[in-house]
Parts: sequence; C-alpha cells; structure tokens
Amino acid sequence: MELRNLHALKETYSSEGILICFAGPFSHSIIEELGNAVKRYLEAEQMTKASLMDVFSVFIEQTQNVRNYAEQMAGAGNREMDFNSGIVVIGKNGDRYEVSSGNIVARTDIRDAVARLDTLKGLDKQGLKAAYKEQMRKEPRPGKGAGLGLIDMSRRTSQPLEYCITEIDGRYSFFSLKAIL
Amino acid sequence: MNTLHIAGTKSSPEILFDHTTGVLSMSGESYPENSFEFYGPVVSWLSGFLKAHNGPVTFNIHLSYLNTGSTKCMMDILDLLEEAFLAGVQVVVNWYCDEENDRAVETAEEFKEEITLPFAIIPISEAP
Repeated sequence: MELRNLHALKETYSSEGILICFAGPFSHSIIEELGNAVKRYLEAEQMTKASLMDVFSVFIEQTQNVRNYAEQMAGAGNREMDFNSGIVVIGKNGDRYEVSSGNIVARTDIRDAVARLDTLKGLDKQGLKAAYKEQMRKEPRPGKGAGLGLIDMSRRTSQPLEYCITEIDGRYSFFSLKAIL
Repeated sequence: MNTLHIAGTKSSPEILFDHTTGVLSMSGESYPENSFEFYGPVVSWLSGFLKAHNGPVTFNIHLSYLNTGSTKCMMDILDLLEEAFLAGVQVVVNWYCDEENDRAVETAEEFKEEITLPFAIIPISEAP
C-alpha cells in the first residue's frame, strides 16, 4: 500500500473502535494465534471471565464459519472466488464489544443464512436455548460445522446479530455479520 | 484394547482414557479444526470400551472452552455413557469448571439436563 495511507488507515481503526483486525486467508493456525491474542488482550481489560469467554467464543465461531465455508466451496471444486479470504474485527463501542466477520458467499447460501438469522431474531432467551438443544440433537449437515454457530452467537449477544450484504456480481456477495456483546 | 492417549494442543484437549481403571479424562480447550474428525476416534474407542468393560466408569472433564462442534461431539460421548448407565454400568461424570466463570457453569448444567446419570459440577478456583 501507499505508505502515506498508513496513517489514514490507523485513524480509521481508531475512529471505528477497532482493537484487533485480521484480513486475509484464514487458516486453523491463524485462528489459534489470533484467538490467543484476543484472549490475552481481553484479560488485561476489566471484564468478567464469562464476558471474556463470550467474546472469545463468538470470535472462534465466526472465524471457523468462514473457514468451514471456504473448505466447503473448495471441496465442491468451486474456485470462482477466493472464499478463504475473509476479515474479522474485534472492536469496542462504548462499553460493548463487537465481533464482526465478512467473507464472500454465494447468494443462494446467503438466502439460507438470512432466513436462519431472521428466525433467531424472533426468539427470546428460552426460545434460543430450545433451538440450540433441538439443533444439537440433529444429525450434522455435510461439512465440518454442527449448525449451531449462529444460535450459539445469538445466545451470547445482548441484541440480535446484525448482517449486511454487499453485492459483488450476480452469483456472489460479501456477507458481513456483527455480534454485539 | 489400549489406553487412549491424545496429547493436547492449543485448540484440542488432552485425552487420557484408561481401559484398565475405567477412568476417562479430558482437559484443555476444545475448538479443533474439524471437531468430527478429532472426536471420531474418541467416540469409537469409547463405544468399543463400553462393550467390553463391566466395571465402574469415571469421566473427568476439565475443559475451559468448547466450540459448538465440540459441544455436539461431547453430547455424543455423554449419550454413550448414558446408554451404559441405563444398562446397569456404574458411571459417574465429574465436570470441573472455573468457579468465577458463570458461563462455564451454565455449559455444564446444560449437558447435565440432557442425561440422567450421576453428574457432578465441581467449581474450582483457577488462576486468571
């Protein structure tokens, strides 16, 4: 990048409240290393162990979701986009932590994710717990995930998960997800 | 049958399942790259063990974190132990968790709700 833009980038991080950000290919070892960094960072903050665990957990679920989706697309032989290149951001807004992630997703898959997020939005604490337990008892779908990630994140957040879709072309969009803790 | 020993890593727990004593232990953190791949051999070892073993079984768990994939696999492990318990095997689960972490205690309680075998939630003091 242009060296003179570095200061502007740093200023953007500051004004957006970004504490930790990683953009690029997600590998399991990067998730482990970033996870450790996140934990160490939060240990120095004045927060309860339960809140620290919530932020760490949402970070792990989001990054593993991106990674698992990339693996699923690679497994299907789809090389149209760089699915493994994502972004994850941990920020602070007032006294709330925000964990966000973004990656390229096929528009048909976004439809499914949005339908699930909209269902979860309508559930209270007990409803989310019931949905979690019901999903835990289901046979896992193909892939690495248990289908529990979005429900688990929703149970840990103080308000429904937010999402945003940025169209790339007719088949793919950039899908952004934010959890406020 | 051999003792099952898997060394722990940053994202996967140490597993020590001793077929001679019936003491099964797991400790560390659990968010492996692929939970089903990691826990597959653990579940099949346990299933084989429970078919051959008649003595008491103690399952000691001390995990500071489980991701959702690991939670699902843990349920499979507990279901196998529950099945053995209902068939008359003496099974005890000891779930250790940080007394200062409400969330870890909640996780243990939610597993406990799913089964009927003796399940002790043991709060312990952990260094930060």
